Amino acid sequence: MKYLKVIIILVLTAAFALSISGCGKKADGPVKVGVLLPLTGSKAKFGEMEKNSFELAKEKINEARTKAGLNKIEFVYEDDTGKPDVGRAAMEKLVNVNKVAMVTGGYSSSVTFAAAAVAQQYRIPFLVNTGSVDKITEPEAFNLTTDDGDKFYIYRLNPPVSEYASGLESLLREVVKPKSVFIIHENTAFGTKGAEAFQKSAEKLGIKVVGDESYSGGTVDFKPMLSNAKKLNPDMTYMISYVMDAAQLMKQARELNWKPKLFVGAGAGYTMPAFKENAGVASRRMVSATLWHQSLPIPGAKEYFDGYIAKFGGDGPDYHGAEAYAAATVVDDVLKRCNGNYDAATIKKALDATDMMTVFAPVKFTSYGKKIHQNKVETYVVQWIDGTLKLIWPKDLANAPFEYPIDWTKIWAK
Amino acid sequence: MTTEQTNKNPLIAKNEWFIILAAVVLPFIFHFSPYIQGLLIFIMIWTVLGSSWNLLAGFTGLVSFGHAAYFGVGAYVGGLLYFHFHISPWWGLLLGGPVAVLFGYLLGLMVFRLRGPYFALGTLASAEILRIVFGQEEWLTNGHNGILYITTWVSKYPYYFVGLAIALGSVLTIKLVMRSKAGFYFLSIREDEDAAEALGIDTKLYKNIATIISTFWAGTAGAFYMIYMGFIDPEVVFALHNISIITILVGIIGGVGTIWGPTVGAVIMVLVQELFRSAFFDLAPSWVSRMHELAFGLLVIFVILYLAGGVVGDWDIIRKRLHFKRAEIKE
Amino acid sequence: MELFLQTLVNGTLIGGLYAIIGIGMTLIMGVMGIINLAHGQIMMIAMYITWVLWQFLGIDPLLSLFISIPLVYVLGDLMARYLLYPLMEKESILPENQVLMTVGIGMVLVELARTIFTSDYRSVQTSYSDIVWRLGHISLSVPVVIDFFIAIAFTGAMFWFLIKTDIGRSIRATAQDKEAAILMGVSAKKITILTFALGSSLTAAAGTLFLPIYYLYPDVGPIFTLKAFVITILGGLGSTVGAIAGGLVLGIAETFGATYISMGYRDAFGLIIFLLVLIFMPGGLKSLTKV
Repeated sequence: MKYLKVIIILVLTAAFALSISGCGKKADGPVKVGVLLPLTGSKAKFGEMEKNSFELAKEKINEARTKAGLNKIEFVYEDDTGKPDVGRAAMEKLVNVNKVAMVTGGYSSSVTFAAAAVAQQYRIPFLVNTGSVDKITEPEAFNLTTDDGDKFYIYRLNPPVSEYASGLESLLREVVKPKSVFIIHENTAFGTKGAEAFQKSAEKLGIKVVGDESYSGGTVDFKPMLSNAKKLNPDMTYMISYVMDAAQLMKQARELNWKPKLFVGAGAGYTMPAFKENAGVASRRMVSATLWHQSLPIPGAKEYFDGYIAKFGGDGPDYHGAEAYAAATVVDDVLKRCNGNYDAATIKKALDATDMMTVFAPVKFTSYGKKIHQNKVETYVVQWIDGTLKLIWPKDLANAPFEYPIDWTKIWAK
Repeated sequence: MTTEQTNKNPLIAKNEWFIILAAVVLPFIFHFSPYIQGLLIFIMIWTVLGSSWNLLAGFTGLVSFGHAAYFGVGAYVGGLLYFHFHISPWWGLLLGGPVAVLFGYLLGLMVFRLRGPYFALGTLASAEILRIVFGQEEWLTNGHNGILYITTWVSKYPYYFVGLAIALGSVLTIKLVMRSKAGFYFLSIREDEDAAEALGIDTKLYKNIATIISTFWAGTAGAFYMIYMGFIDPEVVFALHNISIITILVGIIGGVGTIWGPTVGAVIMVLVQELFRSAFFDLAPSWVSRMHELAFGLLVIFVILYLAGGVVGDWDIIRKRLHFKRAEIKE
Repeated sequence: MELFLQTLVNGTLIGGLYAIIGIGMTLIMGVMGIINLAHGQIMMIAMYITWVLWQFLGIDPLLSLFISIPLVYVLGDLMARYLLYPLMEKESILPENQVLMTVGIGMVLVELARTIFTSDYRSVQTSYSDIVWRLGHISLSVPVVIDFFIAIAFTGAMFWFLIKTDIGRSIRATAQDKEAAILMGVSAKKITILTFALGSSLTAAAGTLFLPIYYLYPDVGPIFTLKAFVITILGGLGSTVGAIAGGLVLGIAETFGATYISMGYRDAFGLIIFLLVLIFMPGGLKSLTKV
C-alpha cells in the first residue's frame, strides 16, 4: 500500500511548487495585459496574424511610453488552441496566475464567449477584438440586463456577426440584384449565427433562400453539397468558412463547374492570404464581406499594413490583424487614462470613456438593442482581383472597380 | 487474495484514511491558489472517469474506447435541463449518472455481442455518432453553440469538496464491489468469458452490473464537469482523443485492474501535462510549454513498454529499482 | 439524373481513395489482431515527407511516392520491431496494450510534426491540380482521377503479392490461423514486423496521394483513422478485395447520404454502417465473397 504515499508526495510537492510560483507580484514592472488567441490548432493562422499585430503595436506603444516615462505594457499570450474549454482555462490562468490587469484578444466565437463568462465572473475587463457571435456583448447571456453596464466587464471593438453583411447588403441591392441565394456555413457558433443573420438580410432584400446547408470543418469532399446547390441554380451563394475549408469549397465548386452570378464569403477565411494561395485559380473574383481594408482613408491603416509586411513578409494582414493592432492601441489609451491605478474598476471606467481613432475604425462603446459596450463599425466588400484583395464597395471608398458580371469560364481557365 | 482475507480488512485502510484526511484538511491549512484548486479538481474528474473505465476494462475485460459517450450524456443532462427549462444544472449531478446508465444499457444491447477489438471499435463508433448527432440537432442541444451556464460560485473550494466526494464515492464503490462476489465474477469474465459461462456465471448479468456502475460514475463525472466548467459543447464532452483516449491512458499509467491505479494515473497525467504546459513554472524556456502532449505521449510509451501493470500494478518493480539504486549509492 | 450521376462518380472516385487508406489497416488488423490508432498519423508523416520534397526540391507528389513509401516502410519496421512486437511476448492484463501503444506513438508523431513544421496548414499545388475533365455535365477532377487509378493499381499489386508470393501466402496464413501458421514454420516475429511495415507503407501511399487534393496540418490524421476502421470492418479483416469493396461502399454511401439526406451528417453515415456491419455481419463483406 506504499504507493498511496506516492500520491501524497506528488500532490504535496506540486502544491508547494505551484504556490511558490504563484506569488511574487512586482509593483513597478510593466503592466501585464492578457491576450487570448489560438496559437496552435486549426485556427492558428489567424492567431499568428493577430499576435504579430499585437507585437508590432507593442514596439510603437512601448517606445512612446518610455519617452513619456510611463510603465511599459507587456502582453501575456495564452493559447486557447481554438477550443472553448481550453480558452476558459487559459482565461483563468491569466487572471489567477499571471494576474493581468485586463484581457484582450478572443478569436473564435465559441471560445471568446466561453472565456468571456470567466472574465465576467472574475470581474476582469475583457476587450474582445475578433470573436463575433452576437451574444458576447448581450448581458442577457450572462444573466444580466442592459441596465447593468457597471457590472458588465465585456467590451467589443469589432462588429457582431449579424452586422458583417451590412456593407454587402447595399452592393446586392444596388448592383447585383440577385433573386436567390444558397447559404453554406460551417457548423460552429460563428457559422450558424452568421447564416441566420444572412437569412434575415436576404428577407429584407427580397432574396429567396433556396438552401442552407452546414458542414463540419475539415471535410475532404464538399461535392455532394455543392452539386445540390448547383442543381438549385441560385443567383449567388453566401459562404461562412475558415480558411482551408474556404479554399476547398471554391476549388470543388470550380471543378463542378458551378457558376452562380457571384460567390460571396462572409469574411473570416475568404479574406486571408492563405485562401488565395490554396484555392489558386478558384480564388479569382471571389467577393467577400470585410471589416477593414488597408486602402481605407483611415489614418495609420496603410502604415500598419506596410509595417506588417516589412516585419513579417508575406501578403500582409487582413481585417483580423487590424483588429488586433487596434485592440493594442485601445489598451494603451485606456491604461494611460487610468493614471497608474490598474484595478478593474478604474480600467472599466476608462474603457467606458473610450472615444478614439484606431487603424481599424473609430472605437467608442455604445448600447443598442440587446447589446451594450459594443463598438459600431462600418463594413465593406472586397474582391480578389488579379491576386490581390481590392476594396470594391462602398463605391466612394473603393480602390478598384467591382468586376461584374463575371465570365467564369474565362476567369477560371488556367 | 481470497474472499475471507479481503473481507477481514476494513473497507478503508489506514493509509487510505490518511489520504482522505489530507485531502479534506490540507485546503484549510494551506491557502491553495485557485490555479492549484483547479488542477486538483481536474485530478478528481479524471480519477472518476479513470476508475469508471477501469471497472469495465481493467476488472471486467470490456475495453471501452468510447467512455466519452457516457461522460457527454451525463454532462448534457444538466446542460439541457438548464438550457430548455432554466432548471439548475445541479440537478444534473443527481440525474446525470442514472441517465448515463440508461444510455449505457441501450448501447450495451448493441455492443455486448462484440468482443475484443470489435467491442473497442463498437464503443468508439457509438461515441463518435453521439458527437455528430449532438452537434447537428440544434433544436435539442443548441448544436455547436454549446451550452453556457454562469457557474454558481467563483471560489473553487465548493467544487473542490464536491469533486472530492464524487472521486471518493467512485473509488470506494468500486472497491466495495470488487470485494464482493460480483468482483470475482468480473475477474473471471475478464480472464475467460467462455469458461466463466461454463461455470454457470450469468456473464450477461454481470457485464451489465459492471456497465451500470461504470456508466453511473462516468455520467456523474460529466455532470460535475458541466457544473464546474459552466460550458459544454459536443466537441468538448464527446471528444475521442481528449476524453475517451485520455481516460484509457489515465487507467493504463496508473495501473489497469487496481483500485487506486486510476487515481495515481490522474495525478500523473494532470501534473505532467501542467508541468510542461507551464514550462516548469516558467523556469524552463518557453518552447518547453509546447511539449506537454509530447511528454505525455512518451510517458505512455515508456509505461507500456516497461511497466505494463502501470505505476500501481508494478509498484514492486519500481520500488525494487529505487531501492537497488539507493543501495548502490550507499556503497 | 445529372445530380445522381455526378454523385455516383464522386462517390466512386473518393471510394477508390478510401480503399487505399483502408488496405494498410486491414492487413495490420488481420494479421496482428490489433487496432492501429496511429494509422492517420502515419499517413500524416507521409504527407509531410511529400510536402517537404515538393516544397524544397520541387518533386512532384506522384514521383515522391517512390521516396515516401520506402521511408515509411523503415519507420513502420522500427516501430513494429522495438515498440509493438516486444509487447506481444509480454504478459499483461489487457491484450489491448498494443493498441494503447499505437495511441502513444500517434501522440508522439503528431507532436514531433508540430515541433518541426508548426501547426500551419500546408498544401501542394501541382501543375495539374486545377485541371478538370468534363464528360457532358459530369465533372472529373484530374488529380482525383489520377489518384484513383494509382490507388487501384496499388491495391491490385497488393492482392497479387498476397496471393502469388510466398511471403504473401505466409501473411495470409498468419491472418487466418496464427497458431497453425507458426507450426508450419512461419516466424511470427518476422511476419508481424513485415506486415506492420507493409501496412504502414501502403498508408504512406495513401497520404502521398491525398496531399494534392487536400491539405496538411499535424492533426490531420484522426479523420482518416476513422475512415480506415469503417473500411476494414466493412470489408472484413485482412481482405484486400474487401478493402476495395469497403472503400467503394463507404465512398458511395457517404456521398449519397450527404447529397440526398444531409451534409452535416456526412461522417455519421459511415459510422452507422460500421456499427450495423459490426453487429449483424461481423465478418464484413469478406464473408460474402470468401476472398
